[in-house]
Amino acid sequence: MTMGEKPKKKLLVLYASQTGNALDAAERIGREAERRGCPASIVSTDEFDASYLPHEEAVVFVVSTTGQGDSPDSFKAFWKFLLQKKLEKDWLQGVRFAVFGLGDSGYQKYNFVAKKLDKRLSGLGATTIIEKGLGDDQHPSGYEGTLDPWMLSLWSTLYQINPKYFPKGPDVKISQDDLIDQPKYRILYHKQDKLESTLLTDSDIIQRARGMSPGKLYKDKSKPDCFLKMTRNEVLTKAGSTKDVRHFEFQSVSSTIEYEVGDVVELLPSQNPSAIDAFIERCDLDPESFIIVGPRETENSGVNEEMVTQLPIKLKTFVELTMDVTSASPRRYFFEVMSFYATAEHEKERLQYFASTEGREDLYNYNQKESRSILEVLEDFPSVQIPFEWLVQLVPPLKPRAFSISSSPLAHPDQVHLTVSIVSWITPYKRTRKGLCSSWLASLTPEEEVHIPVWFHKGSLPAPSQSLPLILVGPGTGCAPFRGFIAERSVQAQSSPVAPVMFFFGCRNKDTDFLYRDFWESHTREGGMLSEEMGGGFYTAFSRDQPKKVYVQHKIREMSKKVWDLLCGGAAVYVAGSSTKMPSDIMSALEEIVSEETGRSKEDASQCLKGLEKKGRYNVEAWS
Amino acid sequence: MANQKTVLAVTDDVVLPVSSVLTIMAQLGNERFDPLIVTQASTINQFPLDSSSVDAVLAISKTSDFPSDKICGEFSRILKPGGTVFVCKNLEGQVEDMQQTIQRRVTLAGFLEPQCLDLKSIKLSTFSLSFGIKAKKPSWKIGSSFALKKPAKVLLKVNLDDDLDLIDEDSLLTEEDLKKPQLPVASGCATTKKACKNCVCGRAEIEEKAVKLGLTEDQIENPQSSCGSCGLGDAFRCGTCPYKGLPAFKLGEKVTLSRNFLEADI
Repeated sequence: MTMGEKPKKKLLVLYASQTGNALDAAERIGREAERRGCPASIVSTDEFDASYLPHEEAVVFVVSTTGQGDSPDSFKAFWKFLLQKKLEKDWLQGVRFAVFGLGDSGYQKYNFVAKKLDKRLSGLGATTIIEKGLGDDQHPSGYEGTLDPWMLSLWSTLYQINPKYFPKGPDVKISQDDLIDQPKYRILYHKQDKLESTLLTDSDIIQRARGMSPGKLYKDKSKPDCFLKMTRNEVLTKAGSTKDVRHFEFQSVSSTIEYEVGDVVELLPSQNPSAIDAFIERCDLDPESFIIVGPRETENSGVNEEMVTQLPIKLKTFVELTMDVTSASPRRYFFEVMSFYATAEHEKERLQYFASTEGREDLYNYNQKESRSILEVLEDFPSVQIPFEWLVQLVPPLKPRAFSISSSPLAHPDQVHLTVSIVSWITPYKRTRKGLCSSWLASLTPEEEVHIPVWFHKGSLPAPSQSLPLILVGPGTGCAPFRGFIAERSVQAQSSPVAPVMFFFGCRNKDTDFLYRDFWESHTREGGMLSEEMGGGFYTAFSRDQPKKVYVQHKIREMSKKVWDLLCGGAAVYVAGSSTKMPSDIMSALEEIVSEETGRSKEDASQCLKGLEKKGRYNVEAWS
Repeated sequence: MANQKTVLAVTDDVVLPVSSVLTIMAQLGNERFDPLIVTQASTINQFPLDSSSVDAVLAISKTSDFPSDKICGEFSRILKPGGTVFVCKNLEGQVEDMQQTIQRRVTLAGFLEPQCLDLKSIKLSTFSLSFGIKAKKPSWKIGSSFALKKPAKVLLKVNLDDDLDLIDEDSLLTEEDLKKPQLPVASGCATTKKACKNCVCGRAEIEEKAVKLGLTEDQIENPQSSCGSCGLGDAFRCGTCPYKGLPAFKLGEKVTLSRNFLEADI
C-alpha cells in the first residue's frame, strides 16, 4: 500500500437462510455490488463472530422469517449475542447497515426477524443506510419484486455517502454480450485408470458426492445416519377422499436406528433415471467420466489444496445425488447465464427479457408458478449449451425431505414409521405436477428392497417424559408424531404410572380420511392412553360432515374445563400439522380458555401462554 | 417414626458422604429424614424403588449432563405426588445457561414451579455447590379429577425472565409491526401458483377436476399460430395463448403430450 492510499471499500453481506432463498438474495446483492466495482463477501450468520461487528464499515443483512415468526437456525446464536443487555448503546457506532427481510404477509408474524434486527442494530448505535426492505412471498413476483428497487436505492445512497464504494459509479451498464461473472466452481476430470479398485459402499458414495456439492446447507451431514428399506406401504385414506395419505414402515439395513418420539427423519429421494439420462444427454456430458468438484481459485482464496487430495466420483452419480433436475425450479440468475450461452437469436432475446426487471413477472408466470424444472427449461431453449461448471453452481441442489416420525422406539423397536400425504397439484397452465419425494415413496414396494439414505434430527417436539400430562392437537397428518407419543406411553404404562393425555384430531370426513382410526379408538377403551379412566380423552372434529365447519379449535373450546385442569396440573401442549393458520387458531382458543378460567384479560392470557412457550410447555411443529 | 421422610440422594460421582447430604438438606429446610444414597448413577435405567415412594430427591453433580432427561423421568416416577426434587450443581462459568437447561429438563419431566437457589454459602467438607434448582411433582392422581381449587395465580406467575441477561426481543416491535400485515394488491388467489394447502374457497377441488386440454379437435390436429410463437413452447407464448401448458410443436403437425417426468396421472 503506497502512502496516502486507503484500502478499497468493501461490503459485507450477512445472511440467515433456512431454505436457501435468503442465500440466493444475498448472492445477488453481492454480485450487483461486485459489478459496480465494490468487492463483497457473503457470509452466513452462523459463520460470523458477532463480536467483530463493530469493526465493519458497511454491512447488509439478508434474513428470512419462517411461518411461525421464527428465525432460521443459523441465526439463533448470532441473534442471542446481539440481544445481550450488556452491549452498550454505542457499541456499533460507526457501522453502516441495511436490512433486507424475506417473509410472507400471509402470516401474522410478517418479517418479524428483519424488523427486530433492524431495530436492535439502531439501538446499538449503528446507522441505517436506507430503510429496511421487506420481501414478500405474496407479491406477484415474490421477494424480488421488492429487492430490485431496494437495491437500486441502496447503491445510490451508498455512493452518495462515499463515492469510493463504486469507482465505476452506482449505475452499471451490463453489456448484453459479455458475461462478466465467473462460475464459482471448477471441475477436475480424471482418467479412469487412476482410480482405486476398492468398491465403495453406498454410504461412502453419498458422502463423497454430497460433500463436494455446492448445495451445502447441511454442513456436517454428507454421510447418512443410516439406510432404510421399506417394509410396508399402506393407503390410509379411503376411496372418495381428495387426498392420498400413506402409512410407510421401514427397517434399517445398515446401523441401528436411534431416535426419540417427536423426532424428524430426512430422506434423500431418488430421481427418475430417464430424467437423469435426458439431462446428461441434453447437456452433452459424459456420464461415465470421473470428476472432482471444488471452488475456483480467486484472489482471495488461492489454490485449493483440498481439491487435489479429494477422491473423484462418477459424473452421473454426482448428478443423481446432488442436482435436482426434475422438481425444483431455477432462479432468475440461471436464465441470465443461459442467455449468454444461447446461439438462437430469439432464444437469447427471450432469456435476456426474462432476466430483466421488465420481464420479471412473466418469468414468474412461466417459471415459479408453473414449477418448471431445470430439464424442462433446458428443453424449452434447445440452443443453449451451458458449461458444466455453471450447471453445478446453478442447478438447484437435491434436497432431502423431512417428515415427522410416527413410530416409537419402545413400541416399534428397530422400525421407523411415516405418515405421508402424496403431494400433487395443477398449475395455472393446467399442467399436473407431483411432489418428488412423496410420489417416489408411494411408488416403492417392499419387494424392490430400495435402500434409502436418511438423517435423523430433533424437530420442534421434545419427547415428553411419562409423567408429563399432555394436550395434543394434530389434525390431518399432524397426528403422525402423536401416534408415536401414545404408542410409547402405552408401553411405559406397563411398568409405571403415566400422566393423562388429551388428543384432539381433525379431518374433513369421518368416512374417508380418519387416519389411524382403529389405533386411536383402541386407546379410548379401558386402560387405553386416551381413556376417561386414565384421565384423558380423544376428541374429533370432522370439518365437512355437517353444513357448519367444525375444527379442532372448536373442540378444544368445548373441553375448556378439562383443558384448564390439565394445564394447572403442569401439562404441556403440543401442536402439529400442515396448515398455516391452524397453530394460531389453537393459540387463540387456549388464550380464550385461560382468560375465561382466570378472569384476566386476553393480553394477560397471551403473556401467560408465551411464558409457557419459553418454558418448553407449548410446542408447535408446522409444516408447509 | 411416622414423621420421618424418605429422601433419595443421587450423584454421578463415585462417593457422596452422608454428612454432606444431611448438611445440604438441613440448609434446604428439611430435618428428620432417612437418606438413601446412590452413587455413580449416570448409567442407571431404573431406580430400585417403588413408584411414588420417596418424599424428596436430592441430585448432586459437577457435570452438565447429569441428571439426564431419562433420570429426571425416573425422579418423577419414584417421588410421591407433591414431593420435591432438588438438583444441586457445582459448576464454573456459564451458570445461567445451565440453570435454564436444568429448569427445562425438569419441566419436561413433569415438575412444576422450578426455582433457582444460590447454594454457594453451604459449607461442606469435600466439595462445594454453586446453585440448585428446586421443583415440585404435581399432586394429581391417576383417575381422579383435578383439584379445581388450584390457584390460578400459579399458572400466571410464570417467569418471563428465564434469559436474565438478554433484552426482551418482543419489545423491539412497534404496534404497527404487530398489526395483521396488509397483503399486496390482491389479484385474488388466481395469481398464486396453486390452491392454498388448506384451501377453503374450493379452488383445490376445481383444480383437481380441471379439464386437461381446453382446445378444439381442430386446434390439436392442425395447430396454427398467427403470432408465430405458439409452436415455440410455453417460454415464448403470450398470456392469452390457447396452447399454454402444452409442449412445443411444429405448425401443422399434431400436438402431443410431452413426457413430463413429474406429471401426475389424473
